[in-house]
Amino acid sequence: MNNRFWSLLRKELMDAIRDKRSVIAGLYYAIFVPILMAVMMMVIIDKLTSPEDFKITINNSSAAADLVVYLDNQGIRHSSDKTETKAIELTIGASYAEQMRLAEPAEVILIADGSEENLQSAIRRTERALQRYSAEMASLRLIARGINPIIMNSLNVKMQDQATTESKGGQLIAMIILVILLSVFVSGMNLAIDTSAGERERNSLALLLSHPISLRQLVVSKVCAVSVFGMLGLVLVLIVSKFVYPMVPWQELGFNVDININFMMAALIAGAFVAVLAASMQLFVSFMAKSFKEAQTYITFVMFVPMILSYAVTFDFATDELRWAPVTGQLQALIDVMKGKEIPLLQLAVSCLSTLLISIALMLGMERLLKSEKIVFGL
Amino acid sequence: MISVSNLSKKIGDVQALDNLSFNAEDGQITGLLGPNGAGKTTCLRTIFGLLKADQGRATISNIDVAINPVGAKQQLGLFPDPFGIYERPTPREYIRYFAELSGLSRTAALKATNRVIGDLQLADIADRRCKGFSQGQRMKTALAQAIVHQPKNIVLDEPTRGLDVMSTRILRDMLRKLKAEGHCILFSSHVMQEVASLCDRVVVMTEGRVVAIGSPQQLCEQTNQSSLEEAFITLIGTGEGIAA
Repeated sequence: MNNRFWSLLRKELMDAIRDKRSVIAGLYYAIFVPILMAVMMMVIIDKLTSPEDFKITINNSSAAADLVVYLDNQGIRHSSDKTETKAIELTIGASYAEQMRLAEPAEVILIADGSEENLQSAIRRTERALQRYSAEMASLRLIARGINPIIMNSLNVKMQDQATTESKGGQLIAMIILVILLSVFVSGMNLAIDTSAGERERNSLALLLSHPISLRQLVVSKVCAVSVFGMLGLVLVLIVSKFVYPMVPWQELGFNVDININFMMAALIAGAFVAVLAASMQLFVSFMAKSFKEAQTYITFVMFVPMILSYAVTFDFATDELRWAPVTGQLQALIDVMKGKEIPLLQLAVSCLSTLLISIALMLGMERLLKSEKIVFGL
Repeated sequence: MISVSNLSKKIGDVQALDNLSFNAEDGQITGLLGPNGAGKTTCLRTIFGLLKADQGRATISNIDVAINPVGAKQQLGLFPDPFGIYERPTPREYIRYFAELSGLSRTAALKATNRVIGDLQLADIADRRCKGFSQGQRMKTALAQAIVHQPKNIVLDEPTRGLDVMSTRILRDMLRKLKAEGHCILFSSHVMQEVASLCDRVVVMTEGRVVAIGSPQQLCEQTNQSSLEEAFITLIGTGEGIAA
């Protein structure tokens, strides 16, 4: 009884490892997606925290010595060396000094390419500095004329940003953990198709069923094989993440992503449940499909289910309810581990149990499918 | 012994098996002969429990397939059509795998595999992956798989299709040897020469029904024809006016 199960499992794994397509499908995600994520994060962080000081070209700067000093104090420096300045030019009008003296609007021209993504924040900062300088000069003029400049302010807007650094990091952390958890879905996918729809397409399914094995042995061994592949993907993605994410300057956003041993253990345990669910779902739909190609289509739809659920968590939708659900429960528990929060154990236990129950239901469903002549012979 | 009694099976609107009964005895080669679409494959699949009969039963060494499928299959070896060869394992791994599934322990399966590789002169290809095998090499691998666990009963579905003379000979010799060892061999075919030269008993079927059972000799005498082919035409022609 047990011997046959091991024979089945051994063969499934051996067959899968020799199938380049399955192996590559399992590996590419686990290796490249964390790297891609890290690079993306680095770019995002780099953009969010553009360097404090930058240099621009100021033409005719001698005509507005005061403005140049003001900008310099704001971290917007003047330089005539084109190699170190940003492509922003500020030209002081020829009659600037005269207009200033007469309290007329003095002409300054800001020249920059507004479609250039990299210049956006620098342009905005320069504009804001100029506006502030303008307002300051206006106030001085009002004071000189004996008028309180306060009357210029009709609104007093106070912004209170309630975002904490932790909540700012929340979405990014959720995305990173989602990428890690989804590896169990992606890594076993090709094997799931190959061992079900592929098995029938090669005409070996009927031969297999002609042998004295029980359907349970067959189904469980296939689920195990696909789960093992999913878990290998998870291990790999954790290892790659461990090396890649520390390279991202998280501290600039005020939080940290640390793939430590605790997190890895938690990910492997929670991931094991998700891997079994992923394997059962993928095998179930692939057995229903009439061909390899059809299975590939169906399985893509299967991927959407955990993805949509997880995005709900990432964007903080029905978060508390989803703690009890499969996949999202494990996802949130892992987010908590990463953030160093306490894990709500009851919810996690219920979520793991429901994951397991759905998997078992799917396996029983597969046994039923394989009793059907239509499924076995693809009628 | 494989025994089929009153089997009926409808697939869609077609009555694929219609009250079919026959026995295949131990130590004999029994041929299931019929035109395309006569229900041969359906009959064999029912014997393997892959299809469920609407009526009637199939027993293997007196074990009812519907009641104890695992026990019944234990007594069977199947040479299927198509072969169902995996491309990535080698024949040695493939044969051993199915030997284990048939209930042999790992070491017993290894021994049995080595023996059958010797018997079928498979040694030269035994450790090459099956991908790209010729039809003859596939046939040998499939046959090895069917007999590796030395089942009492062996079922072959259209075994000689697509085989060259040499491969057909190997297959024929193997079947005679198995018969001499007392195995029950049942095979389906529509190749007259094959059936005539190999079979002790022939079950002629058409439209899911048995129209005649007997040795090739008896069938010729029964229809007053000189060859099995003529006898076959006469037999199925008298049925529903079907041309072969």
